[in-house]
Amino acid sequence: MADSAGQKIAAGGVASLRLSAGVALAALPWLVAAIFVLAALLAPWLAPHDPVAGRAAPMQQMFSDGHLLGTDALGRDTLSRLLFGLRPMLVVSLGAVALALAAGGAYGLVSGTAGGRTDWAMMRAVDILMSFPLILAAILVLAALGPSLFNVTLAVAVSQLPIFARLARALAAGEAARDYVLAARAAGFSELHVMLREVAPNIARPLLVQATSVVALAALTAAALSYLGLGVRPPAPDLGYMVKEGQELLFIAPEQALLPGLLIAVFALAVSFCGDQLADVERRGGGA
Amino acid sequence: MIAEIARRLAFLPVTLFVVATLVFLALRALPGSTVDMLASSFSTAGLRDQLIAQLGLDQPLWKQYLIYVGDLVRGDLGRSFITGRDVATMVGETLPVTIELAVASLVVMMVVGLGMGLAAAARPGSLLDGALRFVAMTLFALPWFWFGILMIVVFSLWLGWLPAFGRLPSSVTYEPVTNFVLIDAILTGRPELIGPWLAHLTLPALTVGLTTAGMLMRLARAGVIETARLDFVRSARMKGVPPGRVFFRHVLRNAALGILTVIGLQFGAMLGGSVVAEVVFGYPGIGRMMVDAVLTRDYAVAQGAALVLAVLYVLVNLVTDLAYRWADPRLRREPGR
Repeated sequence: MADSAGQKIAAGGVASLRLSAGVALAALPWLVAAIFVLAALLAPWLAPHDPVAGRAAPMQQMFSDGHLLGTDALGRDTLSRLLFGLRPMLVVSLGAVALALAAGGAYGLVSGTAGGRTDWAMMRAVDILMSFPLILAAILVLAALGPSLFNVTLAVAVSQLPIFARLARALAAGEAARDYVLAARAAGFSELHVMLREVAPNIARPLLVQATSVVALAALTAAALSYLGLGVRPPAPDLGYMVKEGQELLFIAPEQALLPGLLIAVFALAVSFCGDQLADVERRGGGA
Repeated sequence: MIAEIARRLAFLPVTLFVVATLVFLALRALPGSTVDMLASSFSTAGLRDQLIAQLGLDQPLWKQYLIYVGDLVRGDLGRSFITGRDVATMVGETLPVTIELAVASLVVMMVVGLGMGLAAAARPGSLLDGALRFVAMTLFALPWFWFGILMIVVFSLWLGWLPAFGRLPSSVTYEPVTNFVLIDAILTGRPELIGPWLAHLTLPALTVGLTTAGMLMRLARAGVIETARLDFVRSARMKGVPPGRVFFRHVLRNAALGILTVIGLQFGAMLGGSVVAEVVFGYPGIGRMMVDAVLTRDYAVAQGAALVLAVLYVLVNLVTDLAYRWADPRLRREPGR
């Protein structure tokens, strides 16, 4: 049983699986993610109805005339709302990760390159931010700033900031101890130059890989905040909030709550696999 | 080791103080502060000013802060802006509910996550390993609230097996003593409480436990595989130790430490994360209380709840960390710093 474990690991479980299943399987998550982005971009042309305007008409079931996925309690077309609801999910998750990557990465870069007391103090500040459970930190930010698309992005970014700050710090500290950095310093280049031109390019790749793998987490956090009523203001369509609205109709039309959540789950799963693939490549290729 | 504990405990009040200050600043000092929020909900200016004065919100910020810290030291979390109830009492009622849920979720997570992780690590690269990793990935990618609703649809609506809402059926009279149903059932000799309590606990605990099990599975798997690579395992195998014994006595024993740390950290996260499950299932815990307070702009309650959750999180992490150091002899003699 376990005695062949060592050799099998050496062969690389994921690698063998991928080779046998072919490139198609590996491409699938990227394809799904691309479809999500395209659908969100093309929502105005794809959506059969206005996502916000309701009609004083009885709720339509799935597959009824003109409403493929039915309507919600306010007579709004569910398919159209789902398509437009993709937009805040993508904007918030990608925006938040980009923000957290930029801010946390810069913070960690300064901390790791500087070293010494500066490094110590900067990392203790991150520890304190970490003393809040992620979602609690996000809720506090939203409680302070009030709900809006931008504030949700900010809240999710704050909750992810420590991840990037710590990783960037560890990577930068490792690079800063190397000879080429010593050489640059000895040559009289400024600290700013050392940080931006010497250290930063060498820690960018693992940071970007990390960014890909937390997009799913960002999307899930953002969706949870919307579900709690702290996200996008109604009537603007948003997948997380649609689940909440749909929950009221659970006995009549459970699909109204289940469909938007399914989209969130599929998106999160697809980007998780994308992130995993990149991390695998990084681990095998960038082993140095 | 003792020095380490002392050092960490000495640092604890500092951490708690900073956490309390951050909570205060988040809710009072940022733009869109309490005063503006309250002001928008009262039509007559006179009534508004009266209320603001009553709540002490007309004082300068530094003075409010001193009052806040002074109250905290005496264990006073203030009163609800809306109901006027004592926040500390409200926390006393809702926190045990959340702890019950977190512990139950932890059990689910450990059983499922460890079971899957160890099964996958026993034969890395096998079909079972691939399938389990896919399941773990899927569990991780499920939005908690949506998974909870899916459970309600399947187990309450379609199958009718389990209740979907609340902590106890309204037909049951429950006079709380400690607010832990299980303890109260034993203390007051009412075993009939336990059945309905467990029935209500099942779906929320499965929701939180299963969605977090994916992460534990991956870490447990990685930990075991990493350990199996080490030289002493190879030596044991070459000595002719049977594979099962190598797995349980050599690999698992050494991988256990890292896994336990992860579980401790996850428990802390569960305290915060059960917020969502509590809202989905109408479970009267502290997380739901906090979200309701944020939505109704009842800042005294939101502040108290956030503070208590953060403090608990810090404490759980501290205990986990110390337990880890204590359990691993290699870390016991680590020089301070």
